[in-house]
Amino acid sequence: MSGLSTALWRLESIVGEEDLLTETQAVSEHRLEGQQPVAVARPGSAQEAAALLQAASEEKLSVLVRGAGKHLHLGSPPGPIGVVVSMGRLGRIVEYDADDLTVTAEAGMSLGGLQEVVGKQGQMLALDPPGPESATLGGIAATSLSGPMRMRCGTPRDLVLGLRVALTDGTVVKTGGKTVKNVAGYELNKLFVGSLGTLGAICELTLRLAPLPEGRAMVMAALSPSEAEEVAARLAGSRLELTSFEVANQVACERMLGALPVTVTPDCYVIFLGLMGDGEAIARQEREARELVSGGCARVDGEEADGIWRRLREAAYPSAREAVVVRASVPVARVGETVKMVSSWEGWWVVAWAGEGVVYAGPPEGDDLSEIGGKLLQLRSKAEEGGGFAILESGPVELKREFPVWGAETANADLMRSLKESFDPAGIMGCGRFVPGL
Amino acid sequence: MVDKKVVKALARVVGRQNVLTEPADLLLYSYDSSTARGMPGAVVLPASTEEVSGVVKVCARHRIPFVARGAGTNLSGGSAPIRGGVVIALARMNRVLEIDVENQRAVVEPGVVNLDLQNVLAPDGLQFCPDPASQKVSTLGGNVAENAGGPHCLKYGVTANHVLGLTVVLPSGEVRRFGSKVEGTPGYDLVGLFVGSEGTFGIATEMVLRLRPLPESAQIVVAFFDSLEAAGEAVSRIIAARMVPAALEIMDRATIEAVEASFPSGLPTDVEAVLLIELDGLKEALDRQAERCAAICRELKARSVEIGRTSEEQERLWNARRSAFGATARISPEMLVNDATVPRTRLPEVLRQIQEVERKSGLRIAKIFHAGDGNLHSNIMFDRDDPEGLHRAESAAAEIFRIAAGVGGTITGEHGVGAEKPGFMRLIYSPEDIEAQRKVREVFDPQGLANPGKVLPERETAGAKEEGAAE
Repeated sequence: MSGLSTALWRLESIVGEEDLLTETQAVSEHRLEGQQPVAVARPGSAQEAAALLQAASEEKLSVLVRGAGKHLHLGSPPGPIGVVVSMGRLGRIVEYDADDLTVTAEAGMSLGGLQEVVGKQGQMLALDPPGPESATLGGIAATSLSGPMRMRCGTPRDLVLGLRVALTDGTVVKTGGKTVKNVAGYELNKLFVGSLGTLGAICELTLRLAPLPEGRAMVMAALSPSEAEEVAARLAGSRLELTSFEVANQVACERMLGALPVTVTPDCYVIFLGLMGDGEAIARQEREARELVSGGCARVDGEEADGIWRRLREAAYPSAREAVVVRASVPVARVGETVKMVSSWEGWWVVAWAGEGVVYAGPPEGDDLSEIGGKLLQLRSKAEEGGGFAILESGPVELKREFPVWGAETANADLMRSLKESFDPAGIMGCGRFVPGL
Repeated sequence: MVDKKVVKALARVVGRQNVLTEPADLLLYSYDSSTARGMPGAVVLPASTEEVSGVVKVCARHRIPFVARGAGTNLSGGSAPIRGGVVIALARMNRVLEIDVENQRAVVEPGVVNLDLQNVLAPDGLQFCPDPASQKVSTLGGNVAENAGGPHCLKYGVTANHVLGLTVVLPSGEVRRFGSKVEGTPGYDLVGLFVGSEGTFGIATEMVLRLRPLPESAQIVVAFFDSLEAAGEAVSRIIAARMVPAALEIMDRATIEAVEASFPSGLPTDVEAVLLIELDGLKEALDRQAERCAAICRELKARSVEIGRTSEEQERLWNARRSAFGATARISPEMLVNDATVPRTRLPEVLRQIQEVERKSGLRIAKIFHAGDGNLHSNIMFDRDDPEGLHRAESAAAEIFRIAAGVGGTITGEHGVGAEKPGFMRLIYSPEDIEAQRKVREVFDPQGLANPGKVLPERETAGAKEEGAAE
């Protein structure tokens, strides 16, 4: 006990009394899948974050780094949580010169907040991960989630140019830089992006921006399974510059996507083609898309298009605590068969970023857990056949315990563990949520 | 020289005819396109992943350093065996193993030349986006090791954005597969970490690359300016006008003169700068964008602006750009190249400062840059017969690195750190930042045999400190 109180005293001496929460009520709000943290610390600077990690490392307190907590459902059920390091106080823009098309912001800034600032200059961060825009930049980088737009704009690994990361030895290190091209030294950005808080705490990010498109539109069509496959093949061979290409099955349309301007019939698939650019380019692509689809298409633009875009993103995000969401990644040419397989399961919804091979799916409410687990394994082996993988992104703890969240085994786990040990020798970071051993 | 026993062991792996030990042969592999030099003890030419693994195992067992080599076009000394040892030349591993049109992926061996792949892909309407100026000769293995850039990075990103999977021979000789055709494998991003590691994490023997459809059409706008700064300003305004051209390239007067002297392309030699703007994408969008770019250049008093040339003319202009490096080398047999990169908005002031360096050093510096990325190539010409020549050129280069670091830029945008720039890493990274990088290297190569002496500065050496930290 005295060991713990010394540890807490150390943490408090770093962030101050106000920003170290230990009261039962306060910490219970940070309960995660049955684990209640001992304390919650809110660093006010990268240096404070590093000092917290160093103290935690020396005191053998496990650390869970969080932003807005919008993606805490990801990962294996955590082991005991010592201290939650909450990045909410680090929410400033550090540097933004619009003409550079880059921005540097602190990790606790929300995606929506950033979009608002850069939007005023006619720019955007081209990331649209599932879930609310209150998710933080640090969280998006740590989870490396991406949405429909990744087809044209890439994923966090492509858009992060530089980071400042707090490490468990108490140092704050810079990785990368501020320019799009930079090959000075190793690409440590890539190591931290997607590492789910297992190596350090991302405190600051320099991100590549894109100009806001002049216009946005979405072309939709409800197709029979065979039509959908033909259209997908034709799209792959076309020179349309799609921003996104999604497919949803009937269940997803009815359960999650709300009113659509196409008629959803039993067993149909709805395809959504996202277009960005100036008026003429959109008009021409729409024309060609209609020819490709050769059936009834609907087109929406402006806010209406944005609305459907948003609903597609939200569909892939757990609708409730512990709602089951599975994400499979497969080669693009296998999206069709994967989507069909899932749709053949009674009541399952599926939404795919078809242009990128990302398939989100979930069971009907009230389905039996072992039944769901069986389907997960089926989907996983289907994905693995093509060199892909399937992750149980969200679900009840019992399901996550029974069926490995990240897959049966991880290739090169030994190398990854050595990397982990180099940055986190005490093994305190991440609380066991990432792939086993990291 | 490596031991006879080692030569025998290498010969058992690749056959005696694929192990070179004659001094005349070794000399050919002692340098690359930089100023770095080092005599290898042996050169081996493996033909498969298994052979590379076998060769590396021999090196690991005997604790001999090894350096992988493609076409040797490296501009920072990355492929020069500065510590001797074994050069592993990958030229024989030049097969395109698979073009997966449906999934837009290619699987290639490291010795495939970048342009050869593009030519294989074009009939299917596909491309591999990274297009370094050296693409006619440089190999994809080298492109991956260096995280190569090229003029079209502005719109399409660097090599790291287009590599999804690797077969790697680790410095222990063990063969591993990182990633696959599908992006985002659970766990740490070993592919992303490996790309750009300059041969210090091992040797990639197979690579899965992302392909993209060729753009439907392209259009070039060329503007001639009486001042370099005006050309730089045009770039800023084009970006501010929400356009992302495929490429924005500037050549200064010294470069234009060099090009016209060696490969006449019809460029006027009495202007201070030429700005080459390439727009690509859907036909409908291009005409209007080209008009807008041209209008911006005219506002900035460009002497002349031309748009809508034929594809032959476009090709001629691009060839002028791609030949600039060779052309400059023809004028000045010795040249020190660097590619400091700065935030785009700082280009005008950086250009002024580089002109100042030119004036003070008395050396001619040909400037050619991927202006959209803030990536500057300052080709510093010197005379090797002048005993002070190289030294003066190096001092000028050091000054340019300091200028770039001072405005938040980096010491290399695409050429790599190699043997020439480890000392300058301290200009942009703290000792802690460098230690973090060293930890990663030690995970991959605990024995320190893979391309030693490259990328990171030595711990605590006085020499490196002098070079980098003296300000």
